[in-house]
Amino acid sequence: MKILVCMKQVPDMESKFKLSPGALWYDTADLAWRMNEYDEYAVEQAVRLKEQVGSGDITVLSIGPDRIKETMKKALAMGCDRGVQVADDAAMAKDPLAIAGIIAEYARSRDFSCIFTGMQSQDRGSGQVGPLLAEMLGLPCVTTIVDFAYNAGEYLVKRELEGGVRAIVKVKGPAVFTCQLGLNTPRYPTLPNIMKAKKKELLTVPVAELQKLAGQQETTRIFFPEKKGGGLVLEGEIGALADQLIAILKDKTSVLA
Amino acid sequence: MPRREEVPLLLPGFKTNLTSPAAFFAGDKPMNFELTEEQNLIRDMVREFAETEVAPTARIRDEEERFDRALMFDRLAELGLTGIVFPEEYGGAGADYISYAIAVEELSRVCASTGVTLSAHLSLCANPIYLFGNEEQKQQFLAPLARGEKMGAFGLTEPSAGTDAGGTRTTAVKDGDSYILNGTKIFITNAGEAETYVVFARTDKAAQKHHGISAFIVEKNTPGFTFGKKEQKMGIRSSPTMELVFDNCRIPASQLLGEEGMGFKVAMKTLDGGRIGIASQALGIAQGAMEAAVNYAKERKQFDTPIARFQGIQFQLADMATQIEAARLLVYSAAYKASHGISYSQASAMAKLMASETAMRVTTQAVQVLGGYGYTREFPVERMMRDAKITEIYEGTSEVQRLVIGTALTK
Amino acid sequence: MKMLLVAEYRDGKLLGSINELLGFAAGMAAEVAVFLVGKDDTLPKFAGRLYLAEVEKHLEYNPDGHKALLLQAVEKEEPDLIVFSHSSYGWDLAPRLAFALGASQISEVVAVEGGGFIVPACNAKLRRQVKSLTKGTVLTLQVGAFPAADNSDTPPTVVPIDTDAAPLVRFQGYEAAAEGGVDLTKAGVIVSAGRGIGKPENVAIIAALAAALGGEYGASRPVVDAQWVEHNRQVGTTGQSVTPKLYVACGISGAIQHLAGMKKSEFIVAVNTDRDAPIGEIADVLVVADLKQFIPALTEKIRSL
Repeated sequence: MKILVCMKQVPDMESKFKLSPGALWYDTADLAWRMNEYDEYAVEQAVRLKEQVGSGDITVLSIGPDRIKETMKKALAMGCDRGVQVADDAAMAKDPLAIAGIIAEYARSRDFSCIFTGMQSQDRGSGQVGPLLAEMLGLPCVTTIVDFAYNAGEYLVKRELEGGVRAIVKVKGPAVFTCQLGLNTPRYPTLPNIMKAKKKELLTVPVAELQKLAGQQETTRIFFPEKKGGGLVLEGEIGALADQLIAILKDKTSVLA
Repeated sequence: MPRREEVPLLLPGFKTNLTSPAAFFAGDKPMNFELTEEQNLIRDMVREFAETEVAPTARIRDEEERFDRALMFDRLAELGLTGIVFPEEYGGAGADYISYAIAVEELSRVCASTGVTLSAHLSLCANPIYLFGNEEQKQQFLAPLARGEKMGAFGLTEPSAGTDAGGTRTTAVKDGDSYILNGTKIFITNAGEAETYVVFARTDKAAQKHHGISAFIVEKNTPGFTFGKKEQKMGIRSSPTMELVFDNCRIPASQLLGEEGMGFKVAMKTLDGGRIGIASQALGIAQGAMEAAVNYAKERKQFDTPIARFQGIQFQLADMATQIEAARLLVYSAAYKASHGISYSQASAMAKLMASETAMRVTTQAVQVLGGYGYTREFPVERMMRDAKITEIYEGTSEVQRLVIGTALTK
Repeated sequence: MKMLLVAEYRDGKLLGSINELLGFAAGMAAEVAVFLVGKDDTLPKFAGRLYLAEVEKHLEYNPDGHKALLLQAVEKEEPDLIVFSHSSYGWDLAPRLAFALGASQISEVVAVEGGGFIVPACNAKLRRQVKSLTKGTVLTLQVGAFPAADNSDTPPTVVPIDTDAAPLVRFQGYEAAAEGGVDLTKAGVIVSAGRGIGKPENVAIIAALAAALGGEYGASRPVVDAQWVEHNRQVGTTGQSVTPKLYVACGISGAIQHLAGMKKSEFIVAVNTDRDAPIGEIADVLVVADLKQFIPALTEKIRSL
């Protein structure tokens, strides 16, 4: 069974981001990089699927500059069999359509039975690559899965909806799934597996070989949101205070939508 | 005027008859201060494990003086940490000493007791068996230790033999194809929990001082081998420290480690490696304390200003960070040498000396930065300060490290 | 400007998200049409055409079928913008529709500015302005980012649509949320009790507000030490570190140990009788009032929203 996992390397979200004037994305200098959190669940599920069927081969694919190789090695250490680095120093500027196009070009004639991606990336957060990839390959797709089961060519998954409700969906393979946090518990790459990952195949493919689709949107500006002003102090009659606070919560948060 | 070759110049590549701790040189390769991708992945993995699983109970385990084997050892085995440096044929991971230093540092950053559990197990018990054991001993004892199926400990110290290992009074008398051990060991880390012990005893009563001592492998539950009192300590309270009591304890002669009379050499070579472990533990403690101090200083406001903006505090934090970085380079230098077959006694002595004294200074300073809050048990720095002190004492006191370095310098 | 808004139907009910989409359209003075796979018993009220497909045939989750139906509505309306809510339905369907139309899709729009759309990036630490390079554009709007439209009385003109496109996935129904132990780190809203609640019986007031807001209740250390609340609800250095969208600190002074556990919350409301309480320094709103009166009053009003 051939499995594909699409993985992205992102900066640690605790980082202090810096923007140089005229920049269209955050500064990449002095950042700590890590696997996109949603993709950890995707890698873990792929490894579990392979363990279940006994004979599987997992390819982990990622697009970016050489520094992504370290994160790809983590995926290999978690249990992927081989890696494909699509070498692209300008990956960060590409929109989801261009990214999905590159992956589709790679996956097209390779007959993957199952494709996993994270449901969104922590930096860009569009959540589009999975469904776009499926459309390009003509495959069914279910997003935001928090439960996964496979049996004889058919998948039974559960989508996480608002309020914690789950939608149960059956799909015949091959199919694309985008993974939500909590789908499983991603394993630590054990030290011996980290050492063994050194010997696994990690190919580099120049992006020019795979990019056939141009992007359809552009980032024109990137900026920090306005800092919240100094705190508001409210005093007065209880009923009026409650009304005031409710109005503020409706205005400033999505809690009372 | 002493000749150039006699003065240790800390220039890379300069050949002296003393090991130069600053040399990352190996032949004509350039200096590379970067960690490999594997070392980075190992750091990330151990750090995540330490923060997620070990840190939440560090305070309560210290308070209760409780060792949690499932967490502090079995989980390490599952992650492949219990045999990091040993070859795969003996159940190890085949990684290097820098990877080991990183693992111990990351564990100690959140819990010094967990760091020493790994260090004592690997450097003090598994390693001497690896260095001096015969093939049967390696298969029978090293492999289960490397795989973390069994935990190890090291029994050298006695009531009258601390720094003066030659004061060893525990005896081992040959009797047919056995040895009979009698004596007491004190202050033994992992005691009571460990299954395998590398223990030192006098086999030749006539020999003087450190001659005539031999090393043995003894297993828990051997008749005549019991545990004495559990020490109540200032720090690393989650790590069990107990006495080993040998009362006509009979062990097979096949469990002699190395040859008779070689014990002192086994102990000293073992402690060379153990120093890297303890230096890494001290480094982790210091790192954790510094981070706590920096984070606190950024939040704590006095006079309407975060105290991190006051120069007095900034100078203290700067000193902490600089000393830790210096200690780290010494630790990595020693670890590098250990992995590349370069003699590393002085390097590891310098690393342990520097790291342990840095840990004591940095943790004391961290308590000071946190002020009244730092003195309470709600914040981790007082525990880190209590934990740091032992690193200046065990596995060779700072005085012993100074002797090692001084003697080599003045030979 | 013409917009096609996508309404959602779930568990036999029309979801309120359509009101935000209508508000968004009103804010841009756009002509609207709406698409819905639903039932004609609860339809949104607005002036315009409502393309309605039967939910009994096309089901509540069926992205391929819904896409085919939407394409019919798009063909008829020729909208400049097709707008979804950035919900589990919207983010699943919008990209597929966009691809079929050759249109760009922009996700989680929070504002419209300077001819472009503003979207969050990097865990909402940054904002990006994005411009579409295609003629039509598909958008998903962040929930709560745009005000709901005022209630309209006009019933829409219903245009029935249908398709025989086969679903590629088979929806099997819903499963209720699992009842697990409390995990404050996953809660979107946390209401915390501090020493100011006075006595253990008042924990119920805090818990009630938390429930009304759809969140969890937590506590500061003194309350846990007094055993008025379990330890796994403690927020602070020796408890949990939380990052909810809304944190309401009731009767909590703001000791540094507590702040360490909650200062990364997106929006912080403090309720305290002391207007100089340190928590005021990091709170977005400080309500100076007695929580024993204010919290129940607030809870009551929220329940009747």
